[in-house]
Amino acid sequence: MPASSGSAPAAAVALSPHREAFAQLKAGLDSRHQATLAARFAHSDPTLVSTGFEALDSALGGGLARGTIAVFEGDVSSGRTSVAARLLAAGTRGGFAAAIDDGTLYPPGFAAAGVSLERLLVMPVSDPLGAVRAADILLRSRAFAMTLMPAVVVKSTLWARLASLTHHAGALLLALGEQAGNELGYFASARVRFRIANVQWTDTFGPFSQLAGYEIHAQVIKNKRAAPGTDADISVHAA
Amino acid sequence: MMLLCAHVPSYRLQVALRERAGVCNPSSILADQLQRGHAIDATFQAKREGVHIGMTLVQAQAAAPNATVLVHDAERCAQGWEDALDALDRVSPLIDSASEGTAYLDMRGIAGAAHDWIASAKEALGEIDLSFRIGAAENKFVARAAALVADGTVCEAGEERRLVAPLRVAVLDIEPEMIARLELLGITTLGELAALPHGPFVRRFGRHAQRWHHNAQGIDRTPFLPRAHQLQIAADLYGEGTVEHEEQVYFALRMLVERVHADLDRLGKRAALMHLQLECENGEERKLAVRIAQPTADRTMLFDLIRANVEGLTFEAPITGLRLRASELESGGTPATLFSGSDPDPRAVEVALARLESALGEAATQAHLTAGNRLESTFSYERFTPAPHCALGSVREEVPAAPVIAPPQLRLLEVREIDVVTVQDAPSFVGSPPQTVIRCAGPWRIDESWFERRIVRDEYDVLLEDGSLYRIFRQGGRWYIRGAYD
Repeated sequence: MPASSGSAPAAAVALSPHREAFAQLKAGLDSRHQATLAARFAHSDPTLVSTGFEALDSALGGGLARGTIAVFEGDVSSGRTSVAARLLAAGTRGGFAAAIDDGTLYPPGFAAAGVSLERLLVMPVSDPLGAVRAADILLRSRAFAMTLMPAVVVKSTLWARLASLTHHAGALLLALGEQAGNELGYFASARVRFRIANVQWTDTFGPFSQLAGYEIHAQVIKNKRAAPGTDADISVHAA
Repeated sequence: MMLLCAHVPSYRLQVALRERAGVCNPSSILADQLQRGHAIDATFQAKREGVHIGMTLVQAQAAAPNATVLVHDAERCAQGWEDALDALDRVSPLIDSASEGTAYLDMRGIAGAAHDWIASAKEALGEIDLSFRIGAAENKFVARAAALVADGTVCEAGEERRLVAPLRVAVLDIEPEMIARLELLGITTLGELAALPHGPFVRRFGRHAQRWHHNAQGIDRTPFLPRAHQLQIAADLYGEGTVEHEEQVYFALRMLVERVHADLDRLGKRAALMHLQLECENGEERKLAVRIAQPTADRTMLFDLIRANVEGLTFEAPITGLRLRASELESGGTPATLFSGSDPDPRAVEVALARLESALGEAATQAHLTAGNRLESTFSYERFTPAPHCALGSVREEVPAAPVIAPPQLRLLEVREIDVVTVQDAPSFVGSPPQTVIRCAGPWRIDESWFERRIVRDEYDVLLEDGSLYRIFRQGGRWYIRGAYD
């Protein structure tokens, strides 16, 4: 800050701490403003699909990118499906979504999460190649905004093909599994690992106690759009 | 309003027996197919020998070793029924074909009395070699019941309840399980059913029970739906050489689609079902039925759908002829699409469905149906079809916004027996090696099919020491895993 010259140097010296404080305050506000703007810009990006959880969207840099493969990893009981259900709910609001079912899907739960079941195409497929073939046809049609499939272990050429089709279709291919294989891990644009962190019950003990919900810890282990290594805590709870 | 009902008992069996006129074995079984088939109908004699509908053909033949096995021919049945309906056109122009074997005729404004109409119907059906029963009544159900009571029965207004009372509940066209359930409660006839109080009966047996109770009282509110006179739109290509390459087939197919499309366009119709027939040089004949969920007259869509179905076929000889026929026609011509850029393209969905069914089988494309209560929601599958309202505008306006809640999701696991140690009747250690149960909720008593075999189980949600959440259940003293919260 330039010092005033002339007849009132003492007053100028007295004002400087205020001006410095004001400058610091302004700089702080500017940086927060920039951060807010960046976050708003990222969230309104039409190429991104919101996961339905704000914390997870922030960790992913705004959401999952359309035209890419994303992998949700975690143990059998880790919270992956709860997050995938929210994505399916969003997918079926704007059009059709598809789920390649390895026999583990529970549609009443999807319905409770807001998935429009009449817009969800389900394909019961038992073998990995069948799952890839179904995904290939679905992506080629460009009619399904989102496809959910098990994270099967197949050759890298097949994942390369699916990645290319996903890109051209502008769809989101979401693979769910315990751990992505090397092939899928290479072609996935985002990988998120989930685990259940804290389980909540209704406060009554005994025969009337019920599962109220749980908190899920999500860690982004790969992300091509933003820095990986971020994490988020999200909460799911019964209605 | 007076209705006539023309009913052919065991229509499919009668058609099959008519085709095998030389066979006069009183014991005959009608099967859906010869290889790994099931009995879909049987003569009275065969049923007396122990044949039941739904048995495998092997079981049915074991029960009635001297019975003749006949194979159901759907196309012949459909054609035969169309002939019968055409004959009935001479009696009344308004015919409701409820199913193959049952038709209702609206007799309003037609001169004569009920017995005259029955006589003219019998005369019209004289050329059809099937044993028809004719009944007359004020509504559809009672008209059919009159036909079942005796051929030529006329039920006067006000006599409906008395007429249907002695008939068995099976007349209501309900599932065998439900009939057994009613019989367990001592209800075998419609008279006994009609005597039950309406409200409690409907509450106990669900919304369909409302129709059963009304029918048992001789009331039927189902509307009369006159059939549209069938139009034939077909095109064929024969005797113009053979095709050996895929592209040639598609070229010929495109020509046929163009011709069919021109006819559809001229008549202002849309097709919901396309039949393609391919004949090969070696005499092989391949038939393909392509169902279109959303009827259309769009030539590109028709071609793409048929092509997607043909893609999976292989032939051993060059193709010498193709025939394409459009059926299940609806009025309206090519639907005007109001799709915005982001809405799903129904044509792409249809083509994807056809490709999936071609590649993975018909059971590949399904949608969920949910039902049941809060604790134990059951679900079933039906064939996936794009919702009809998609074609009329933006889907965004139709589907309500997703709820803000994110409920825990149950992921079904293969049901298998597990080791559980209980303390004070609650699970304390689960699995092998055992894991300590940190917290447990339940039990919830699940009671299924109480009227058949009583299946009772107690379900628990358990949180294990490794942080995983499972749903387990106890049934008959044994413990099983059902799913994991994921």
